[in-house]
Amino acid sequence: MQSRAPLMGMSMLNALALILAAAVLGPAAARLLGVRAGWLLMIAPLAAFAWFAAQMPVVAGGGVLVESIDWVPALGVGLTLRLDGLSLLFALLVTGIGALIVLYTGAYLSDHHHLGRFYAYLLAFMLAMLGLVLADDLVAMFVFWELTSVTSFLLIGFDHEKASSRRAALQALLITGGGGLALLAGLILLGSAGDAWKFSELSSAAIEGHALYPAIVVLVLLGCFTKSAQLPFHLWLPNAMAAPTPVSAYLHSATMVKAGVYLLARLNPVLGGSAGWGTVLITVGALTAIAGAVLAIRQTDLKRILAYTTVTVLGQLVMLIGTNTAYGLQAFAISLLAHSLYKGALFMAVGAVDHATGTRELSRLGGLFGLMPFTGAAVALAAFSNAGLPPFFGFIAKEFKYAGLIAMGWPGWITTAVMIATNALLLAAAGLVFVRVFLGPRGPWPQQPHEVAPAMWMGPMVLALSGFLLGAFNGWPETWLIDGAVQAVSRGPVDVKLYLWGGLTPAVAASVLTLSLGFAAYQFRHALRHHLTRWRAIWRINGDWLWDRLLRRTFGFAGRLAAGFQHGSLRLHLALLALTITVVVLVALVWMGREPWRAFEVGRVSFAGLAGCVLAVAGAAAATVMRERISLIAALGSSGLGVALFFLAANAPDVAITQVLVETLTVLFLALVLRDAPPMTRVDALAPVFRSFRFWVAAAFGVSVAAALAMAVGHTMPGDIAQWYLANSVPGGHGRNVVNVILVDFRALDTLGEILVVALAALGAAMLLRDSGRSALRSGGPDSFGSVFLRQGLRPLAGLLLLVSLVLLWRGHNLPGGGFIGGLVAASGVALVALGFGVTAARQVLRLPPATFVGLGLGIAVAAGVLGLLAGDPFLTGLWMHAGSLPLGSPLLFDVGVFLTVFGAMLHMLFRLLAKEI
Amino acid sequence: MELVAVVTVGCLVAIGVWLMLDRNLVRVVLGVVVIGNAANMLLMTAGRLGLGTAAFVDGGAAADAANPLPQALVLTAIVIGFGLFAFALAVLKRVRETHGTTDTDRVTAVSEQASPDASRGPQGRGVP
Repeated sequence: MQSRAPLMGMSMLNALALILAAAVLGPAAARLLGVRAGWLLMIAPLAAFAWFAAQMPVVAGGGVLVESIDWVPALGVGLTLRLDGLSLLFALLVTGIGALIVLYTGAYLSDHHHLGRFYAYLLAFMLAMLGLVLADDLVAMFVFWELTSVTSFLLIGFDHEKASSRRAALQALLITGGGGLALLAGLILLGSAGDAWKFSELSSAAIEGHALYPAIVVLVLLGCFTKSAQLPFHLWLPNAMAAPTPVSAYLHSATMVKAGVYLLARLNPVLGGSAGWGTVLITVGALTAIAGAVLAIRQTDLKRILAYTTVTVLGQLVMLIGTNTAYGLQAFAISLLAHSLYKGALFMAVGAVDHATGTRELSRLGGLFGLMPFTGAAVALAAFSNAGLPPFFGFIAKEFKYAGLIAMGWPGWITTAVMIATNALLLAAAGLVFVRVFLGPRGPWPQQPHEVAPAMWMGPMVLALSGFLLGAFNGWPETWLIDGAVQAVSRGPVDVKLYLWGGLTPAVAASVLTLSLGFAAYQFRHALRHHLTRWRAIWRINGDWLWDRLLRRTFGFAGRLAAGFQHGSLRLHLALLALTITVVVLVALVWMGREPWRAFEVGRVSFAGLAGCVLAVAGAAAATVMRERISLIAALGSSGLGVALFFLAANAPDVAITQVLVETLTVLFLALVLRDAPPMTRVDALAPVFRSFRFWVAAAFGVSVAAALAMAVGHTMPGDIAQWYLANSVPGGHGRNVVNVILVDFRALDTLGEILVVALAALGAAMLLRDSGRSALRSGGPDSFGSVFLRQGLRPLAGLLLLVSLVLLWRGHNLPGGGFIGGLVAASGVALVALGFGVTAARQVLRLPPATFVGLGLGIAVAAGVLGLLAGDPFLTGLWMHAGSLPLGSPLLFDVGVFLTVFGAMLHMLFRLLAKEI
Repeated sequence: MELVAVVTVGCLVAIGVWLMLDRNLVRVVLGVVVIGNAANMLLMTAGRLGLGTAAFVDGGAAADAANPLPQALVLTAIVIGFGLFAFALAVLKRVRETHGTTDTDRVTAVSEQASPDASRGPQGRGVP
């Protein structure tokens, strides 16, 4: 039975959105309103609480609310929210306690300079937690689950100046995050095994019979146990007490730690059919409960006592799910609610005590009741519920726990014994918190206590009173809350009936036993502690000790592993890279089964091309052995010129011209950088074995590249793309220089990207070339440029080059030239001025800084593209108009942009280089 | 002609890798230039070397015109390659100024610091 009930304009999605808005506005609200921001921000969770409370009649009647929004419908990805009894119970806890915590925070952290940030984290956590309990999609639930881990990390580490806070936050994140990974795997297996990605659509029959069932259970349990601090993973929870008290009260007692329990309960109908499920849950839960209770009694810090009792209760809750009996599941729902109420109240009250007295140490507290009556009353009510005294809600929870365990038969008696012992210790802990702190003689407080602000005692009071009222008038929660929750958890209909007195049953006997044991434990607590302390050997090997060792080992292992790969030798990295490529290429060639030398004709050989190739190789080879800087530069330059000659022979005049110009600038840059460098070292001063290794790596790489190229050339070229460009250059691009038309018209978007790269490289290089301080004064440039004639000749030559560059730019569309070539020529012209008369003179010639030219060029290129956009065509579409017989078009404008960008980029680097290299 | 180009590219690539495996950062930068040249030649060759006419259209397209597409590609690649070279040169210069050496292995040794995790305990103890 499903129904949609939009009420008061609210919905589950709106509740989430409202809390999200509050989280976003939190910092601003805290800045504007200061401490009073809490009153404003609590409206969001309070409104959500009111809405959820209004849904109780629908849900208690067996109804289910479903809302969904599609995200990627094609992939079936969406967000489906579903409100049933279990979700409603949790949603009420999350929003209700959340509202009180927001209010409490304002008073507790009133003097904290990051109060706004805290509100943002806290409300973001609330959002995540509410989403977790409402989500019906497995994946959405997981996302919210991880969000709670992340926000919890931020909250635990809120006092990030303290090393202990950081450590606790990291520990919590690693443990819950690690469990989250297991959970993710488990949920994926669950979804694929059940062929459904919603909790509501999973069927237990399909999954429990599936071969993957054991794996699913193990992975899901890992996730739940880490989140809910079950035994081997419990240690993050007490350490998380490093967080400010509102966090402990909210996340680590009432909500987040119950996320694991929630998921267990949610999946109990689907996964809980096997005997193994119950056995594991009861065993782990029982061990956790015992460990938590024993450790709690040992503590003297109030907050840590509460933290360990929380561990105990979480263990009990896991046990109760494992029973799968009618009483057990009722006990689960009841004690979940009871615990959230009293533990939230106790935490907040302990924070208030801490605030008022300045300490949480038991030995320094006592006799506070007269001074802090409201807080004291709240603690009294909560502690009675905690201790399981009638008629508090905690009493009902305790009775039902016993009834549920006893109903299991003989294994139940063992677990009942565990339950009695742990409950007795809980009672003793409750006694410590109330009797020791508020009654008896006055303690040696560090500061004179006073009653705290209403915002601080109100939260505990409301929660503690709720615990009392729910117990005293237990028919109300039975109908509206517990019934729906139990039906959602159980594997079949369960008859829910709450009572305070059900006659003389074994449960009552157990309860009496608990009370007497508890009182005894409280009375003889010093002796008990003394006895526990004697097992020193055990306490030393505690979880934290193991955790630190584990973490240190992990870091060490990771460090060694990384050092193996990140050895710091650039040459070894390069050699490995080259070898890998070599192997991949050669293997691919052999695998394709084609001999590179097959179908290979020498063909026509042009003399110029041959000369160019020889020059290129000879120059490069010379550069490997030259040690003198001038000869090194000359060798490299001649190699580049050889390449240019090759391009010319290959009928690529534009490319050849570009190569010549770039080679000129390369030589210039290299000379400027190397002029104050020491002479080169010998080629390599290493052992012969390394030299031969280096030789073979280089040779093999060269062979593999040559073989791949030979194979590519040895086949006829597929397609006729070259012909297309040749045929369409004039009709489509209005230009006879096909290469230039491709650059500025057909493939203009690529060119735009390329000039952007040139611009970025120039800006980056200039940043590195700048600075170092010693150059600023000597930016005048070299005045000793040899002969006067040369200097006088430079000026007209530079002017001529600038003119030529403009001509090249203009004619580039039809004849060799274009923006790239023109820009390089113009840059060479200005470079001459800079070399001859100094950078200052060159800057005066330019009038604008070179970087401005870069920006201008990119702007013009983009504008030329936008013109096409304005005409209703795609970006960079060429537009042409004819001024008389002269064709003018946006590609020409684009070429101007290329010109300016290249020009500016080259000079930008050159000026920086010259300004330093005096 | 293609055979000549293939051999040349192979030689240039091998020389470039040889240079880049040098300990002196200056030679590494030179290696970058040589490999860049080789890559450009490779691209041109892979587009087939037309020994007829250049890729200019006058009236109609010549039947044996050179392939214009790799030319356009290589033309921009040359300029970008220069940008890369200039950047490498700037790094070289900065390394020499900062560390007083252009030996790649020694630069690594002087510029790298031990990671904070390795120098102190994982719990961050010892930091106030």
